[in-house]
Amino acid sequence: MKKLVSLLLVAVMMFAVMATASAELLGPGNVTLKRLGYTCPWDVNADYMVPIMKEATGYDVEYFALPAEKADDKLFSEVSGGADYDVVNMGVNQWRTLLANGALLPLTDLLNEYGKDILAGNTEEVWNALKGDDGEIYGVPYMFPHSQEINSFLVCRKDLLEKAGVTELPKTITEFYNMLKQLKEFYGDEYIIMTGPLVSASEGIVGSWRLPRCITSAFGIFSDWMIDDEGKVIYQTEHPKFAEMIEFFNKLHNEGLIDSEWAANKETDIQEKFVSGRAIIVTGSRALVNFTTAPMLDNGVIATIDDLCYINPLHGDDGTCKFMESEGFNQISAVLKNSKHPEDAINWINKKVQEQLFICIGVEGVHFNYDENGQIAPINPIFANERGDSYYYIDCTNAADYQFQWPSRIRKSAGQWHAFSATTLALEDTSIIAKNFLKFMPASEAYANSNATLFNMLQDFIMQAMDGVRTVNDIPALEKELANEDLEDVRAELQAYYDGLAK
Amino acid sequence: MSKKKNINHIPLDTSEKAAEIIAYVVLGILSLLAILPCLHVVSKGLSDGNAVTAGAIYFWPVKPQLETVNYVLTKSGFFNALKNTLIITVVGTAISMLTTVTTAYPLSRADFKGRGFISLLYVISMVFFGGIIPAYMVVRTIGILDTYWACILPFAIVQFNMFIVKNYFEGLPDEVEESAAIDGANDLRTLISIILPMSIPVLATVALLYAINYWNNYFHAMMYTSSSSMRTMQLYLYDIINNASALAESLYSTSHQGQNFAKNLTTEGMVAAAVSMSIIPIVLAYPFVQRYMIQGITVGSVKG
Repeated sequence: MKKLVSLLLVAVMMFAVMATASAELLGPGNVTLKRLGYTCPWDVNADYMVPIMKEATGYDVEYFALPAEKADDKLFSEVSGGADYDVVNMGVNQWRTLLANGALLPLTDLLNEYGKDILAGNTEEVWNALKGDDGEIYGVPYMFPHSQEINSFLVCRKDLLEKAGVTELPKTITEFYNMLKQLKEFYGDEYIIMTGPLVSASEGIVGSWRLPRCITSAFGIFSDWMIDDEGKVIYQTEHPKFAEMIEFFNKLHNEGLIDSEWAANKETDIQEKFVSGRAIIVTGSRALVNFTTAPMLDNGVIATIDDLCYINPLHGDDGTCKFMESEGFNQISAVLKNSKHPEDAINWINKKVQEQLFICIGVEGVHFNYDENGQIAPINPIFANERGDSYYYIDCTNAADYQFQWPSRIRKSAGQWHAFSATTLALEDTSIIAKNFLKFMPASEAYANSNATLFNMLQDFIMQAMDGVRTVNDIPALEKELANEDLEDVRAELQAYYDGLAK
Repeated sequence: MSKKKNINHIPLDTSEKAAEIIAYVVLGILSLLAILPCLHVVSKGLSDGNAVTAGAIYFWPVKPQLETVNYVLTKSGFFNALKNTLIITVVGTAISMLTTVTTAYPLSRADFKGRGFISLLYVISMVFFGGIIPAYMVVRTIGILDTYWACILPFAIVQFNMFIVKNYFEGLPDEVEESAAIDGANDLRTLISIILPMSIPVLATVALLYAINYWNNYFHAMMYTSSSSMRTMQLYLYDIINNASALAESLYSTSHQGQNFAKNLTTEGMVAAAVSMSIIPIVLAYPFVQRYMIQGITVGSVKG
C-alpha cells in the first residue's frame, strides 16, 4: 500500500509540476485560498476567528479539516488524487511523508520574496530542519510556544499535606519518598496517596509518555534516547540509574504509596480520583488542572485554589535533575505542488505573522492589558470568546514573540495559570532543562519502523514496574526483547545523526 | 376492566414453573446488562459537569442539566450531520434500489443475450477492488468530491444485493410473465406491475441493507468529503469522540471566570450526549424495520 501511494504521489506530482500555475501574486481580495488543517472540534469555516483572520490579512480563505481518525489515509489519498490546497498544516511525520514523495513545493524563493517576516521569526537551526536533500525549504514552522515548559508535575492537596504535618514540599527524591511515607502513615487507606499516570494528548512531543517525568528527572532520565558523557547514544534501559529507578517504582508500589490501579488508569480515571477527593497527589499537567481545579472548588473538595500546590521535577540526592526541553515543531505548514496560488499562500502566512499579536491575543485594552510586570494579562471573557480558538488558524509564528505572548493564553484559565505560575514560571534552575537531540531529526528508516515498538515495550515495562509485576531482575529480558526489535539499527541511525550534529 | 379468563390455559407443573422463573431471571439479567450501559451513557449526558468529572454518575442523572445536550444539538453540528446522513440514506437507497432492480431484472431473464458475461463482470468487480486512491481519483475527476453524490454514486449498486434480487426474480414462475405478455404488457410494465409487487419481501430486505450501508458508512464519507457542512453522522461522532477533550478544554477554560455556561461541557458528558442523541433515530426506526432485519440475516442463505 505504501509503495502504491508513493508511486501515485510521484506520478501526480510530476504532472502537477508541469501544470502548476504561473507565478504571480494576486493579493488579498483577488483570490480565495484553500487551507487544510488537522482535525478540529468545531466548524472551521463558521468560527469567530474566520472574519478576524480576514480582517488581519485581507485574504478570503476556505478552511478544511482532516478527520479525527485515519487522518493520514485521508491526507495522502487527497494529495495523491491531485488535491490543490494552497496551505496544508500538518504534523511532522505527515510533512516528512509528503516531502519524501515530492508532493511539496520548494519555498525558499517564495519566502525570500513574500515571507520575510516568516524567515525572521525562526532560527537558522529550525530552517535547516525544514530543508530537503536539495537544500530547499519545504515548510514553515509552528513551534511549541514555550521551549522550557514544565509539562509534567505533581499536583497536591495542600490542605491534606498540612493536616498530615507536611509543611514543606519535597525537592529531592528522598524527601519525596519520606513525604509519601508520612502521608501513608497518617491517612492509611483513607486516601490514594498518589495516582497517575499522566495521560494527555496535549503534551506536545512527549504526548504519548505515561512516565512520571517529574520523578524520573531525579535519576537523570528524561527521554527514551539520551546521550551519555562520552557522546554515545544510549537507550533509557542503558542509563546507569535505570535499575535504581525501577527499584524505586517497585518500592512505591509495594509500600502502597501509589495507586494500585496505576497502570490501568485512563485520563478520566485519574481526573475522577482527584476531583472526587479520593487522591492526595496526582501526576499532572496544564491540561489536567484545567479540568480538575474548577470542579474541585465547585464540589467543595478544596476551599480555595491555594489548597492546591505543585511539585516541580525532583532532584536526586546527588543533585541530579534532568527534564526534557519542550522546544520542537508543533505543526508544519507547507504548500502543495498542486497549489494554484503559492505566492499568495506565503504572502498570507507572512501577514499572519505580522499580525500575530492581533490574531493570537487581540487588541490592548479590549482583549488584554499589560500587568505590572509587563506581562500580558487577558481580559475575560472577551479574550476567551474572541481569541480562544486562534491557535487553530496559525501556520507560523515569530517564535520569540510568541513565547512572550503565549502565557497569556494559559492565563485565561485560573486553574492552568495557578499551576503554570508555580511550575514553569517558578523554575529557578533552568539548567535542569536537557536538550532533546532528536527534535529536528529528519525521517530515518529504522527509527520510523521500530522506535514506536521499542518505546511501547519500554513504557509497558515501567508501567508493570509501577504495578509491582516487573522488577530489576526482568531488565535483562527486556533488553533482549528490545534487541530483537532492531534497537541496534535505530541506535546506529541516531548515532550517525548525532555525530553529524556534533560536527 | 375485568380480566378475561383464558379457557385454554393449561396449568404448568412445578418443573415448568421453575424453568419459566429461571428463564425470566436470566432474560432479566441479560436485559439489564444491555440496558444499564445505555442508562449510564444517557445519565452522563444529562448530569452536572462536576459530577461527571468526579465519576459520580451511575445509572441516573446527578443534578440534571440540559446544557450539554443543548450544546451538542445546537452548537456542534449535530442536526447538520443528521440532515446529511438522512439525505444520503434516503436518496442513496432510492437510487440503489432503482439501479439494483433495473439491473437484476434483465439479468434474471433467460432470453437476455450476454447475461452470463455481464453477470461475470459484476462478480469480478465484487471480488476485485481497484483501490482507495484510484477510486478517489475517479470521484475527483467526475467533480463530485465533497457533495452528497460522492457518498451515494460509488454505492449506487452493491453487487451482492443485486444478485439476491436477481436470484429472487429467477425464482418467480415464468407463467406469470407470459400471462402479462399475452395481456400486452411490455417489459417495463411487467416489471412494475407484476414482478415488483410479487417481490416486496426481498425488496424491503435489500432496501434495508442499502439503508444500513449508507447510514453506517464512515470510511467513504471521510475520504470523499472535506468540509464541515458535509459531515455525516458517523464522521460527526468519530470527530466529537476524538475531539471532545480539546473542545471541552477550550470551552472549560472560560468557565469560573465570570461566565459558567461551559462548566457542564465536560469531555465525557459531551461524548455521552452526542452518542445518546445519535441513537434516537435508530431507536425510533427499529420497531418498523425489525422484521426485515431478521429476514436480512437469512436472505443470503441457501434455500433447501
